[in-house]
Amino acid sequence: MSDAHNIIRFREVGVRYGAHTALRDLSLDIPCGSINAILGPNGAGKSTFLKACLGWLPLSHGEIRIGDKHLEHALPRLAYLPQRQTIDWDFPITVRRVVEQGRYPRLKPWQKFQASDHNAVNHALDELGIMSLADRPISQLSAGQQQRVFLARALAQGADIFLLDEPFTGLDATATEELAHILRSWEVQGRTVLAAVHDFDLAKKAFGRGILLANKLIASGPILSVLTEANIESAYKTPRLLETDPLKHARSASFPS
Amino acid sequence: MTLKELFISPFSYGFMQRGLVSALLLSISGGLLGSILVLRRLSLMGDALSHSVLPGMAIAWLIFGPSPVALFIGALIAGLLTALGSAALSRLTKVKEDAAFGSLFIVFFGAGVALLSRLPVRINLENFLFGSILSVSPSDIKLSLSVSALTVAVFIVARRGILLETFDPLFHRATGGKGGFIHALLLILTVLNLVAGMQTMGVVLSLGLFLLPAVTAYLWCETFLKLLLTACTLALISSFSGILISYYTGIASGACIVLCLGAIFIISVIFSPTHGVLSKLIETAKQQRSVNHSLD
Repeated sequence: MSDAHNIIRFREVGVRYGAHTALRDLSLDIPCGSINAILGPNGAGKSTFLKACLGWLPLSHGEIRIGDKHLEHALPRLAYLPQRQTIDWDFPITVRRVVEQGRYPRLKPWQKFQASDHNAVNHALDELGIMSLADRPISQLSAGQQQRVFLARALAQGADIFLLDEPFTGLDATATEELAHILRSWEVQGRTVLAAVHDFDLAKKAFGRGILLANKLIASGPILSVLTEANIESAYKTPRLLETDPLKHARSASFPS
Repeated sequence: MTLKELFISPFSYGFMQRGLVSALLLSISGGLLGSILVLRRLSLMGDALSHSVLPGMAIAWLIFGPSPVALFIGALIAGLLTALGSAALSRLTKVKEDAAFGSLFIVFFGAGVALLSRLPVRINLENFLFGSILSVSPSDIKLSLSVSALTVAVFIVARRGILLETFDPLFHRATGGKGGFIHALLLILTVLNLVAGMQTMGVVLSLGLFLLPAVTAYLWCETFLKLLLTACTLALISSFSGILISYYTGIASGACIVLCLGAIFIISVIFSPTHGVLSKLIETAKQQRSVNHSLD
């Protein structure tokens, strides 16, 4: 790929937890403004991949560059969305106050919210269509609305790279469709997204590009060229269906007489 | 008896004034701190800490005599050892953090009781556990004032960090926040407040002044600021009424304050409009009525 602008570049990256190698020899480029699904079996290094982007893990090898700067200088450009389940949704706080958290990193302890901060918050609430929920306690939100509050907070940060940890987990069909729609609209606006995803069909539908991991890079590029049978098989090792004949058990089943 | 005689005249005594001022000061810092402990699910850690500071204070007393500063430092070291020790235990062994905390604090408490019984000077264990309003000295007031002021100051300066670390530690970290620092800060403030509350309420009961107002406020409030303010207000009201009741009945002041808080808590548990038992029961009854079982 001769793309002029790759916003994130991995060069021979290795990450180890003690004796266990989580990622090895990972080299890949992520084009600016692409929507990427990070795929792979459990323990394949999807979370490690995101955490490495955030600079939370010491790299045992290689380097990660974001934009043209080294990772440590690029924190403001990155917005991280933790899994929805890590939050206590009974927490006494309103939607607006959560979205305002996106502005905290810009403020010194004694600084008050400026007009620009309020604008950013309102804009984020507006873009995700949750302005009408702004003064609701978060305990009253549906799963899809919760996810949009998180996305709004990330927008309010003013970041241009979004790291989402399993954003689709626990969403119903409508909410899944909505989130996919939001991500597609972000692609049009030139935002870069990296999201850990489990569901192949969803990945094919909502994401332009894919990164398939199994502690090393199996494939990366346009999503359809990544999710081929051969690639999936080599990532998941075991064949996807244990028994290819769905009627086998029906034939061999014994019934009580 | 006029209202003035009922509410004001008990405080013509110096010891009553000191007890009240000390309790009111700690109500403010306790309400703030307790809210965070409850939201972060660290209520039991507070309980464990309140017991585990005993040996630190006993050793400090043994070496430096009854100086508040020495007692505080001793308590802080013992508290930190428990907290860090259980964190280390849970990471290095199979033992989970709550079990590690539970085991360590009871060992510390045992060591404290053992030390106390071997001390040349007799310290009243009852005072440590339950406090005595009669024993609040002017220097204790100074300690309460500094602790309360420090707690409020930390909550003002680090308000955003405390909120982020409580609500979403991962996001806090991703935006460059220092979670470990905030956690340690809260731990130190908890120990400070426990020690400062010892004279008025006793270490164990002063934890009640932190947790009960916060849990009660949690049942009523839907925003963070309201939660903090409600917790502080409840603590202030209960401190005042508890000390009055203690004056008229002769029951230990710490117990009276905690019982006042307990009464408000139980009323809230039953009647809170959104989270109370009563509203849950009504809700369930409505749902049951909407389902019709039939045999066909």
